Amino acid sequence: MSTLPDPPNPSMDNETHRNGAVESNHLIAKKPKLSHPISDSEIREEFSHHQRGVARINNGSFGSCPRSVLAAQSGCQLRFLQQPDDFFFNVLRGGIRESRAAVADLINAAHVDHVSLVDNATTAAAIVLQQIGRRFVRGHFRPDDSVIMFQCAYQAVKKSIEAYVTPIGGTIIEVQLPFPVRSDEEIVTEFKKGLEKGKLNGGRVRLAIIDHITSMPSVVLPVRQLIKVCREQGVEQVFVDGAHAIGSLPVDVKEIGADFYVSNLYKWFFSPPSVAFLYCKDNSNDVHHPVVSQEYGKGLPIESAWVGMRDYSPQLVVPSILEFVNRFEGGIEGIMQRNHDAVVKMGTMLAESWGTVLGSPPEMCASMIMVGLPSKLCVISDDDALRLRSYLRVYHAIEVPVYYQAMRNDDRDPRDKDGFITGYVRISHQVYNSADDYQRLKTAINQLLEDGKICSGLPTE
Amino acid sequence: MASTEHQNGDAVSHPKKKLKPCNFITEAEIQSEFSHHDTAVARLNNGAFGCCPASVIAVQRDWQLKNLRQPDHFYFNDLKSGLLHSRTIIKDLVNAHHVDEISLVDNASTATAIVLQQAAWAFNEGTFQKGDVVLMLHYAYGAVKKAIEAYVARAGGSVVEVPLPFPVTSNDEIVREFRKAVEKGKSRGNRIRLAVIDHVTSMPSVVIPLKELVTICREEGVEQVFVDAAHAIGCTRVDMQEIGADFYTSNLHKWFFCPPSVAFLYARASPKSRDLHHPVVSHEYGNGLAVESSWTGNRDYSAQLVVPAVMEFVKMFEGGIEGIRKKNHEVVVEMGEMLVEAWGTHLGSPPHMSASMVMVGLPPCLGIFSDSDALKLRTRLRDKFGVEVPIYFAGGEDGSVTAYARISRQVYNKLEDYIKFKNAIDELVRDGFTCALLSD
Repeated sequence: MSTLPDPPNPSMDNETHRNGAVESNHLIAKKPKLSHPISDSEIREEFSHHQRGVARINNGSFGSCPRSVLAAQSGCQLRFLQQPDDFFFNVLRGGIRESRAAVADLINAAHVDHVSLVDNATTAAAIVLQQIGRRFVRGHFRPDDSVIMFQCAYQAVKKSIEAYVTPIGGTIIEVQLPFPVRSDEEIVTEFKKGLEKGKLNGGRVRLAIIDHITSMPSVVLPVRQLIKVCREQGVEQVFVDGAHAIGSLPVDVKEIGADFYVSNLYKWFFSPPSVAFLYCKDNSNDVHHPVVSQEYGKGLPIESAWVGMRDYSPQLVVPSILEFVNRFEGGIEGIMQRNHDAVVKMGTMLAESWGTVLGSPPEMCASMIMVGLPSKLCVISDDDALRLRSYLRVYHAIEVPVYYQAMRNDDRDPRDKDGFITGYVRISHQVYNSADDYQRLKTAINQLLEDGKICSGLPTE
Repeated sequence: MASTEHQNGDAVSHPKKKLKPCNFITEAEIQSEFSHHDTAVARLNNGAFGCCPASVIAVQRDWQLKNLRQPDHFYFNDLKSGLLHSRTIIKDLVNAHHVDEISLVDNASTATAIVLQQAAWAFNEGTFQKGDVVLMLHYAYGAVKKAIEAYVARAGGSVVEVPLPFPVTSNDEIVREFRKAVEKGKSRGNRIRLAVIDHVTSMPSVVIPLKELVTICREEGVEQVFVDAAHAIGCTRVDMQEIGADFYTSNLHKWFFCPPSVAFLYARASPKSRDLHHPVVSHEYGNGLAVESSWTGNRDYSAQLVVPAVMEFVKMFEGGIEGIRKKNHEVVVEMGEMLVEAWGTHLGSPPHMSASMVMVGLPPCLGIFSDSDALKLRTRLRDKFGVEVPIYFAGGEDGSVTAYARISRQVYNKLEDYIKFKNAIDELVRDGFTCALLSD
């Protein structure tokens, strides 16, 4: 990262940059076999800025970005600094539009006008929920109307509901995620029960917020089925929080059928921090970016493309990302498949070594999987989970998030030979990982067991 | 009394702290710090996008790299303390009483959304009555006007604009118009809930007599005052106690050498202040605006972390940031007067009503008769002459000065930049150019 490369040309008239993708329908057309797929040493070089010696198995939180994409980003930043007016008038808009078009292709959106780029899923949640809030205020909704979501919804989404829906009188229905989960049906059943609650007193469910891949605990939800149920039950709008989705599993917004779909590009799609896309099925909806600029009223994509002076470079490098992923055998599909296979293999290895369980069957995970921690470690609070995570970071240079779930006193509370399992690690696999990362985690936990340690007794920094 | 010592970074009252002359940054070093600027361009539009010296960019890269290396560690160990450090420096710089009053946000537009969202809630809840007034200046920034429309007008508030004369010759003209607008606002028995006042207007650029206007607001029972000071910090004197506003925002990337982009929003702590919230809600919701703003989801926060490095940079100049802004002002006025004398035109405001930018009347023969003409001429100057300068169409009759160039001066500027601009206009005039000749 010592030198800045020449800036790439992100303007619209450079057609060869467009998408870098070989075909427009990402799902069906096969990519030609590469004569020289990226090698292991090239991958290592691309991620050589990652701290050496750290077993980085938390790609889900902050993602990762290869050097070639960072270089493209630097190029954009430099170009701006060189002559910002010229950049603003001649480069920025075309560059953002090109990125949006690339994303629209990737997710099979009907038209680029349905795709906006924002900072992150948290921003997208504000946009969607402010819209709901405005509709409540204008009296489009009745007092008994409700919003339904999963109890494990991302904290920022829950807080957004607290900020924009609760104060104006909407009811919130939370659906508990069965966990560990055994099948899609379990989830659909719980969700249906939640919808029934929403229809008591004759109210309508105005918005369903459905994670595509939940964050903690991490599970792939059967979004298509859930949305089908929503439509059957008269839910007015469906917002899919697919924060982890793109680059983890195929995203086809037409097929999924949600009204709003958001995914972060920096988690699993190799963008720098940070950029996300928000897809709106009906682009005439009253959705606005909360930061108002001169572009107000021109549609969310245009509003989001200028929210005052900012560094827009993460939004401009989507073409470079596509170039990067297409260096891999099978492109992004190949990466997703290999990540999935590897994380399942590693998760299974860990669960076997520790005598615990996986949080979900392989088909209900993508590039992350929940692995039960031995009950002897006594993860019996959120504090314990955080303590263990810090301990692993500081004393073993292992980065992995830890999840605590209290016993639910039903037949699903998992056990190992020593007691109930209440803690899990969420391991991830991305192209830069190696088997050694997971061996180190295995050994570190086994060492704790051997030493008779429990979470509350662990040293922290 | 550390806060007054730090006030505005003014080193003059403490001679023993003054750097020896040989320690100040040299002209060659300044040019080196800005060597990434396109050398073919006479860069006279610092007001729009600002500038950032190489040493600050380098510190920003370090922060970015630190995050990319091990983002979990960065999040848990480095981010919060880095942001607090930046906020503390700003609190001292602007003479706020408490660091909780200082939040870091992306830009003044975001700060505006925060303040106006609070007003919109008040209308929705009935705390403000429909028809209650929000006052703004006619020359308020376009984005601010749109935000007032989006948040206030839509919620039932009524908007009163203060017409401002331009060209303007004295503060009294502005004060007079402001008083009239306040009267108008109160005339139908409504309360004026919020006055949105620029510190330095954008286009046309004029320094507003802020203290006087805030005093009038207090005298006339205007409930809250929000100052849009997008340009102010590094450009004019900024002292929260002196100004006395409830909310004050300024961009640090315009005149305070930060990279894109970061601004501060000052919110005066008071028992009757309503809660402000960042519109992008994270798990920090409810922990106060400063904390909410410090985490709006995963982002690159590096621009907010380099404020200490900027302080190091400005300290290399004689007089620090005070010295920089005084010199910028002297030079831009000198250059402005040179140009209007050469062209037989006039400045849009007197020197005491400008800071680091002045509005320079353009020769009437150029025939600028619309906003579109102004933009086309600006493009022409960029593409054909390598001059970057924004142009404002002010109206007026054929034969009079109808447009002004907003020239700026920042530490990287040289005399040649202004000569290049002068020569470009002279050439256009000589060639009988008029905007009517430019295609759409």
